[in-house]
Amino acid sequence: MNNLCTDIGYSSINKSGEELCGDHIDIAEQGETSTVVVLADGLGSGVKASILSTLTSKIISTMLAAGLGIEDCVSTIASTLPICSMHKVAYSTFTIIHIVNGEEAEIIQYDNPNVILLRDGKSVDYPTNTLHIGEKEILRTKIPIYENDLLIAMSDGVPHAGIGLSYNFGWQRSDIIDFLATFFYADFPAKTLSTVLLDECVKLYEGKPGDDATVCVVKIKKRVPMNLIIGPPSSPDDCDKMMSLFFSKEGKHIVCGGTTSTIAAGYLRKPLIPRLDYIDPDIPPTAEIEGVDLVTEGVITINKVLSYAKDYLRDNEGYRDRIYKRDGASQIARLLFEEATDINLFVGTAVNPAQQNPALPINFSIKMRLMEELADCLKKMGKKVKLSYF
Amino acid sequence: MKLTVCIGSSCHLKGARQVVEGFQALIAENHLEDKVELTGTFCLGNCQNGVSVKVDDELFSVQPEICKSFFEEHIIAKLGD
Repeated sequence: MNNLCTDIGYSSINKSGEELCGDHIDIAEQGETSTVVVLADGLGSGVKASILSTLTSKIISTMLAAGLGIEDCVSTIASTLPICSMHKVAYSTFTIIHIVNGEEAEIIQYDNPNVILLRDGKSVDYPTNTLHIGEKEILRTKIPIYENDLLIAMSDGVPHAGIGLSYNFGWQRSDIIDFLATFFYADFPAKTLSTVLLDECVKLYEGKPGDDATVCVVKIKKRVPMNLIIGPPSSPDDCDKMMSLFFSKEGKHIVCGGTTSTIAAGYLRKPLIPRLDYIDPDIPPTAEIEGVDLVTEGVITINKVLSYAKDYLRDNEGYRDRIYKRDGASQIARLLFEEATDINLFVGTAVNPAQQNPALPINFSIKMRLMEELADCLKKMGKKVKLSYF
Repeated sequence: MKLTVCIGSSCHLKGARQVVEGFQALIAENHLEDKVELTGTFCLGNCQNGVSVKVDDELFSVQPEICKSFFEEHIIAKLGD
């Protein structure tokens, strides 16, 4: 194991007029450091294609993650998939990207456009072996992976974009690579990159996609640990213990809450310097302590971070504001959502008597619920989250 | 003279921002920038009676509505002494 991990993002568009997408992506975690991503493209479009691709991707990801071989997966699919009454075949193409121990990528491809590997912004050719399983010819590759590698899998709806419209023969692989390479320095998260690529597809299709199209981006990145502490421990005697555990963790440190930051400043023997600028009128100002990366108020700020997290998971509309705003909540959101991969949340369970006033929307149970919800959201973003109570 | 306003959670909800902005305006209005130092602080342990404000080392509670009269009574008057 090393310190690499994956950022996986995908997006799909449906064939014009279809309500369901005939492509499907399934991701299965295998232990701490291995992941199986399967992109399947079902025969035809609409509900039939959707069933075929959902079954295919789910069966493969589950079986591979459980340690079974590709031969078993393929024979299981062949004997499981319902046979289309029109075409008399059960058929779904697939691409598998299996990241093993954060060190190696195993790419298994059956009839989808070939996976693009971008390293330092340039396309890299990789060796393939051909396997014959039943009637099927399957390509298999095993290569080491490095930080910032991008693996891009897609369904054939992507290279078919623009056939007969913008291009005679569709969007060629080399053109797709050139398009992707222009975003190399922008260093987009995987989700953003997949959206950008599909937006271009929709444009080439002139708004009316002739096929389902799906893009899946796997970005190899370094693990970035992040630590956030909120609330004093239930017993004041545990302050030093909680602080020493918190500050001994690798990565950046975020301290939330007035009392908590006072305790942190005392522990570090550094002054706590609050600021008075209200960048966002709803969010209390931040403060500074030497040795702490960010100091903010507690409950009100975290409440805002949680609403940002929900937006991020929904349609990410607030993204444009969040990337530059300097209030406490936006700063926390950037550190947690964009920078971090592994997050330690230290939650103190002391009750602040002043906040038990029913007139105030910040009582103890709300604080605990906020942190649980935030942890859930962060997990949905693919972060490794550890929640500890004191 | 040091004027400190609590900007912790409870005081924030009770109007700390309005108090800070009120004091900032009053200081500018009375040209007291070189006489009054306005700073923020986190919790002063007086959350029930927010917004907590300290004039030098003396603790007060100031609601946004009484910002102006408080300033006249405790700041301007004392500076005149």
